[in-house]
Amino acid sequence: MSQATNNKIFSNLWMIAVYLFLYLPIFTLVVYSFNDSKLISTWTHASLRWYEALIKDDDLISAVLLSLKIAGISALMSVFFGTFTAFALNRYKRFKGRTLLSSMSSMPLVMPDVIVGLSLLLMIISVQHWLGFPEKGLFTILLGHALLGTAYAAVVVTSRLREMDSKLDEAAMDLGCKPWQVFYLVTLPLLLPALISAFLLTFTLSFDDVVLSSFLSGPGYSTMPMVIFSRARLGLNPTINAVATVTIVVVTFAVIASSFYTSHQARKRKREEAQAYSDSNK
Amino acid sequence: MATAPKEINQPAPEVLLRVENVTKIYDGTVKAVDDVSLTVNKGEIFALLGGSGCGKSTLLRMMAGFEMPTKGKIFLAGQDITNLPPYQRPINMMFQSYALFPHLSVWENIAFGLKRDGMPKDQIAERVEKMLNLAQLGKFAQRKPHQLSGGQQQRVALVRSLAKRPQLLLLDEPLGALDKKLRETTQLELVNIIEEVGVTCVLVTHDQEEAMTMASRIAVMSEGYFLQVGAPDAVYEMPNSRKVADFIGNVNLFDGVIEEDEADHVTVRCPECVHYVGHGVSGHTGMAVGVALRPEKIMLSDKKPKGEYNWCEGEVIEIVYFGAHTTYHLKLDSGKVIKAQELNNTRDLSCGLTWGDRAYAHWNDLAMVVLAQ
Repeated sequence: MSQATNNKIFSNLWMIAVYLFLYLPIFTLVVYSFNDSKLISTWTHASLRWYEALIKDDDLISAVLLSLKIAGISALMSVFFGTFTAFALNRYKRFKGRTLLSSMSSMPLVMPDVIVGLSLLLMIISVQHWLGFPEKGLFTILLGHALLGTAYAAVVVTSRLREMDSKLDEAAMDLGCKPWQVFYLVTLPLLLPALISAFLLTFTLSFDDVVLSSFLSGPGYSTMPMVIFSRARLGLNPTINAVATVTIVVVTFAVIASSFYTSHQARKRKREEAQAYSDSNK
Repeated sequence: MATAPKEINQPAPEVLLRVENVTKIYDGTVKAVDDVSLTVNKGEIFALLGGSGCGKSTLLRMMAGFEMPTKGKIFLAGQDITNLPPYQRPINMMFQSYALFPHLSVWENIAFGLKRDGMPKDQIAERVEKMLNLAQLGKFAQRKPHQLSGGQQQRVALVRSLAKRPQLLLLDEPLGALDKKLRETTQLELVNIIEEVGVTCVLVTHDQEEAMTMASRIAVMSEGYFLQVGAPDAVYEMPNSRKVADFIGNVNLFDGVIEEDEADHVTVRCPECVHYVGHGVSGHTGMAVGVALRPEKIMLSDKKPKGEYNWCEGEVIEIVYFGAHTTYHLKLDSGKVIKAQELNNTRDLSCGLTWGDRAYAHWNDLAMVVLAQ
């Protein structure tokens, strides 16, 4: 056998191994969500009973709805504050404390969530002691998630701002835009793709978070990951498999659709550029 | 109520832009522009020419309002605009990178400035139509910038900056982003459009050819100040310093001393030869001067010229063929190398000279410029 075929076989095997490692657990989870047995690891026969149970499980359903709500609001907050941070760091003239802001704003990226959660908890307790609010609950979870998300959103928006031609701002001003008009007529529309990806990223982060939520949540405010986590400690119930499968299906569809959309856009753009080039040579 | 008296005795060329003693200092130490004054007349195309870092772009950006002068004032049509922000100046700029808004169509790009002025919709449509015709881009109105070729993008950028009918148009390296072949045609299109509109222009370029073909006057800049201001032919044929002579085109520089100083001629003795200059110069006998001689004004031959002036002898050490002309590098006996450019006016390329030949370079008595040291 030649060296080349050897290499090919090896690389194929390696690829299969990686895919198994990544997706076998998820696949197992999906399959077992259709299992009739109450035991999570013994297959009896196919059924939809856990999906039925899921629909009737009001605790879990309301936890999912709460998670969606928190993820949506905190992602909006993150994008809002992250965009302003990115602007301050990239578009303003050097100001005092810029280096400090730059390193502080990326701190939550590297700081362990446990530390962030704990310190936020301590702060909220003492603020509550002095001012009588905020009550631990929805607001405090949002605060924690927005804090973390702002750091991520700032990174995403910064990278887009850096590659944008700053001459566009000047051109807009030259043509009669006041600075705030430059922002909403030129900068904002061009930033839109970055804002959307920042929103999706921070949405996922928030939806996924269990550490910060555990620290900052109050009675009556359990997010989906918190519920799953606490039930897992008591012994897994196949309803969890069902809710996980639903989540996986939704996420997979979203990912596939968005990657189809972006690659379609990229191909279209390439085609149009080639067309413009060949037109000009006629 | 008495109306303001009209100035009747206006000087013939009407001054549009006046820059008065403008200085720009960055970070308290770096002098980008150093006490520059200039006037640009109405209808003129004025070029700021210089290498990178000479301050030409900073000066242009101060005219546009993107930078504020550290010292000095800028007037447009008599009005002090030094401290006006860019969006309040009746000045528009065409950027080197074009800076077309990628999310807007060609039509919307051109209409952008008009909308900011609150112009009525039907007038905007009419004006944009006019601009599209001017740039011959009518059928591309609905395209996005990335769907256009480089030359088309450039025309959009130009008419976008003309759409508001600015009193002054600024061009930042207008041809810098195009390849050589496209430059020549685009250059002509650009000048045609500008002349059709009749707008006053200030353009910045590092390319002397671009400056010479487009501008009616050129300011040669170096280290933040003007070396020389004048018409293209004046700057080329009568440079006022070694720096200008060296920057604009190729030049052979000889160092010498004025030997004979008459009203109608001077002679300058150099180590390599004696120059006989057929006109008087401001200088005196014994004064050390430089003599600048353009390569295209030197003729080569293998026969020794008659007379004692305006020729020298050397060995051909390099022949560079350019198609339309050939440049010969001649090493003189003193070790100095001069360049001579011969027009290839027949298809028989050899003027009889090849590598290693002895050759005589000669020129006529109005070919050179005498420069003070």
